[in-house]
Amino acid sequence: MVDDDPSIVAVVSDILIAEGHEVVSAENGAEALAKVNGEELVLLDMRMPVLDGWGFAREFRASGKRSPIVVMTAAENARRWAEEIGAEGYLAKPFEIDALIAAVERYATGTH
Amino acid sequence: MTALELVSLLTQAIFVLIFLLVGWSVLRRPTRTSVDIALFFGAIAIAIVESRVVTTFRLPQVELISDVVALLVIAMPYLLLRLVDDFSDVPIVIVRLAEIGLLLSAAAFIATEGTIPPPLLLPVVVYFAALSTYCAIAFIRAAGRSTGVTRRRLQAVAAGTLLLGIAILAAGFTPLLPASLAGLPNGLTQVLALSSAIAYFVGFAPPQILRRAWQEPELRAFLRRAASLPRLPDTPSIVRALQDGAASTLGARATIGLIDLETNTLRFQDPHGVLPNEIGPSDYLAWRTFETQRPGYYPDAARAHPALASAYRAHGVRSLLIAPISAADKRLGALEAYTNHEPVFSEDDLDLVRLLADQAAVILESRALIDEAARVRAHEEAARLKEDFISAAAHDLKTPLTTLVAQAQFLERRAETEPSAPADLPGLRRIVREGRRLSSLVLELLDASRLEQGTLVGEREPVDLVELAREVARHDSYDGHRITVAADAPVVGSYDLRRIGQVLENLVENAVKYSPEGSEVRVAIAQRNGEAFIDVTDQGIGIPAADLPQIFQRFHRGSNVDDRRFAGMGLGLFISKGIVEQHGGRVSVESRVGAGSTFHVVLPLEAGR
Repeated sequence: MVDDDPSIVAVVSDILIAEGHEVVSAENGAEALAKVNGEELVLLDMRMPVLDGWGFAREFRASGKRSPIVVMTAAENARRWAEEIGAEGYLAKPFEIDALIAAVERYATGTH
Repeated sequence: MTALELVSLLTQAIFVLIFLLVGWSVLRRPTRTSVDIALFFGAIAIAIVESRVVTTFRLPQVELISDVVALLVIAMPYLLLRLVDDFSDVPIVIVRLAEIGLLLSAAAFIATEGTIPPPLLLPVVVYFAALSTYCAIAFIRAAGRSTGVTRRRLQAVAAGTLLLGIAILAAGFTPLLPASLAGLPNGLTQVLALSSAIAYFVGFAPPQILRRAWQEPELRAFLRRAASLPRLPDTPSIVRALQDGAASTLGARATIGLIDLETNTLRFQDPHGVLPNEIGPSDYLAWRTFETQRPGYYPDAARAHPALASAYRAHGVRSLLIAPISAADKRLGALEAYTNHEPVFSEDDLDLVRLLADQAAVILESRALIDEAARVRAHEEAARLKEDFISAAAHDLKTPLTTLVAQAQFLERRAETEPSAPADLPGLRRIVREGRRLSSLVLELLDASRLEQGTLVGEREPVDLVELAREVARHDSYDGHRITVAADAPVVGSYDLRRIGQVLENLVENAVKYSPEGSEVRVAIAQRNGEAFIDVTDQGIGIPAADLPQIFQRFHRGSNVDDRRFAGMGLGLFISKGIVEQHGGRVSVESRVGAGSTFHVVLPLEAGR
């Protein structure tokens, strides 16, 4: 997951780890690009310093990676932004943890 | 017929023509000025016609008639002086001297039975020449004070008068010269007289084509400037430019009244003495024109509006030209051109003033459109800013909320599924931290909103800024930095203690936030000339020059600021600036990237600027 807010990274990691997932986190797009290594799913914040969600998605797809992306944003136009970068889904912050878990399960299964 | 005779005939014909033209205008509109002009040229014309009739038909000289003619000629300089008086006030001394000269000349003429001997003729000639010269100078000066057509006409009149004066002088000296030399001044006199006749013709009865030719350059200049007028900073400047343009084009002065629809009054920006600044429905000629939308030409304003006759006279407003200013069927106002003397306008000028008024309407309407567009833009901009503010605020509030909701639900689920599991301390701490963050964001928002309503700063009391700064510096969250407060003496001013404390906290907090641990943050406080100076200096990352102008704006963070590491909404400096400004003070910043920043706050010591 990529998010510049450390608290959000921490709580989302806790939740997903408790659900039995493995989590690699990064605080901006550039760090995430450096770390990606065949993950099943990318949870992506949009507004971040250094490299934002749009930049990350562009580079990520350009490098041939096909892992699904789920946009997580506090902005009102979460859905439009998700469409803009060709993401598979989106989560509008603040989200219910059930929605988080459901989204991860829905998009992460069957891809690798 | 010799050339000289032809010149003489032409001169006489022109003078008679001028008389006929000015005589016709007296018959149509008798006014003091037109009567004076007619009298002057009448005297000349009668003398000419009499001598022509006598010589042409070889009639015996009728003594009575020739005496009357001679007396009329003697009266000419005096009549000319009366004319000058119509254009510019002649000192009473001069008028009296002219009257004495007139009486003496007439007396000499009667006493000598029409044959003034040369020694006596000389003073008469000098009197003629002196008065003509005085009149010529008076006309030249009047021309200097005028513009456009009036200027040209007065220049022509001045030239005519000067030439006539010289001609009279030359003619007067002729009998004093030996007969063998008499031919020279005679020819000179004839040529001078012809030039004078032409100049007078041009000045007093200019043909339409000449008036147009004189008006054209002024009109052109006006129209050339017209396109730029709507862009002038405000309507009063536009009105002033229009008035000046109309004035120089018409060779008069001009005032523009614009309708105020709320009060139904015409408001004049620079009215002449007779017009008040505002006129409602009334008998005023300007209102009549506005009401009827018909232009009006009033050669004698006093006569056109007798109730105000004395006011018109007192303020030297003689003739008026008034045209309505309207765009389609929208009545905008009226343009009133006025002069303190009369033969400046003619009926034909109505077309011109109408043209100028139409131009004014176009320009004022363009201005109204520009203003309207600016209003719409400002409104849209305000709406956009508000929207930006709300969505930025919502975004910033949702971030801690995301953690709060997810973490709380996660803890709840854990408590349900594993009631005996140990407390998740990191998770609980996250809730506390994000809850505090949320609450400080809400407070920031509230402050920003109060700031906009102007209710952020409350009651003031004597505050020692040095003491306050020391208190702020002791805050334990700055433990990693050295906060020093430098001051020679207490600096006490009248402030809202809590809010000024907030400003100091915000500045020190920023300094700490953006500078490496262990570095110094220095607060220097001093007072000079009734003002307190607070400088907060850090050795931090600095602010890029491009960000400096926006640093005090809402939601602005430096572009080199790693966003979320430095929590906050970007409202802190915006609020601090507002607090300082509501205390009558000012804030500024200097900074160098990599070296650090200094924030300057200047606060008046006493409340009220």
